[in-house]
Amino acid sequence: MDADAAKFLAAGIAMGFATIGPGIGIGLLTSGATQAIARQPEASGEVRTVFIIGLALAEALALYAFVIAIILIFVA
Amino acid sequence: MYLLEEAGANKIVEAMAEMNDRAVVSIPKIGPFDFSITNTVLYMWFGAAVVFIIFFIAAKRMKKSPEGLQTTAEILLNFATGHLTGQIGEKGKKYYYLILTLFSYIMVTNLIGLIPKPSQIMPTTPTANINVTFGLAIVVFFVTQFQGFKRHGFRKYVGSWLAPPGVPKAMKPVLNAIFFVVHFMGEFFKPLSLAVRLYGNIVAGHLIILVMLGLILQYGIALVVPAGAFVVIMLVFEVFVAFIQAYIFSILSVVYIESAIYAGH
Repeated sequence: MDADAAKFLAAGIAMGFATIGPGIGIGLLTSGATQAIARQPEASGEVRTVFIIGLALAEALALYAFVIAIILIFVA
Repeated sequence: MYLLEEAGANKIVEAMAEMNDRAVVSIPKIGPFDFSITNTVLYMWFGAAVVFIIFFIAAKRMKKSPEGLQTTAEILLNFATGHLTGQIGEKGKKYYYLILTLFSYIMVTNLIGLIPKPSQIMPTTPTANINVTFGLAIVVFFVTQFQGFKRHGFRKYVGSWLAPPGVPKAMKPVLNAIFFVVHFMGEFFKPLSLAVRLYGNIVAGHLIILVMLGLILQYGIALVVPAGAFVVIMLVFEVFVAFIQAYIFSILSVVYIESAIYAGH
């Protein structure tokens, strides 16, 4: 295989696999947050803060892979 | 990036040249450091000036009954003192300066990138440059570690990274080593994840917009309507992302500083 082709393939595969985990995580997080708000609407402010922090932490995993993909394509 | 630009055939890649740094005032390198003023630096200064001017004018024209700019500044200030730094408690109240500055600066620089600009003024987004986000994250890192070492002293702060009290005596050395390595690495991964999160979010959003516009260049005007509609939707979403990323960056900074202030609890 051509070295350039391998780079692009690697970037695509990395990105695709890396979105699986955070996707599941954010789904669970959203479901939990909606249930929490539905049960206790008065706590929605605090739930939202925790939700957004968790969202950021889950999302960061996909972004690590995104940075790796960018490095693979443009730098390596 | 230059590798693909040399090929020159791909118009999508040409459109992505926006992401490049270009020196405006070249200064010769001092050792490994390049101090030349690039367009990113200019946009950073512009963002800082916007933040400064907003708060300066609001502070100058302070009135009993706020209106216009003062309302915006007061909302931001309340947000930073109440919602963001409020959870640290009394000990961390003074950090609202840092957090408010981080929040408004990141939001303004994110929004600067969304304003369409002619190519003559070398458009770029400061936060779409990993050096800028790392700079911001390193500030948070040093504030966090300074807090920890100053408040608790070296022994107590490093001691809070070791195994919690109550573990069996025989296991203690092994657990201490594991806990220390994990916590020590964690302290460095905190700023890394802060920087990469902000950078990745902004770059990913801009890349999607650029690729969509690049498709029009590549495949002709048949794609103007669908790609254009998608770009408009993405731009609206990017305004939301600009706010949410500034919020996440500042609230995670608060969480990290808080964890250093209350280390060992």
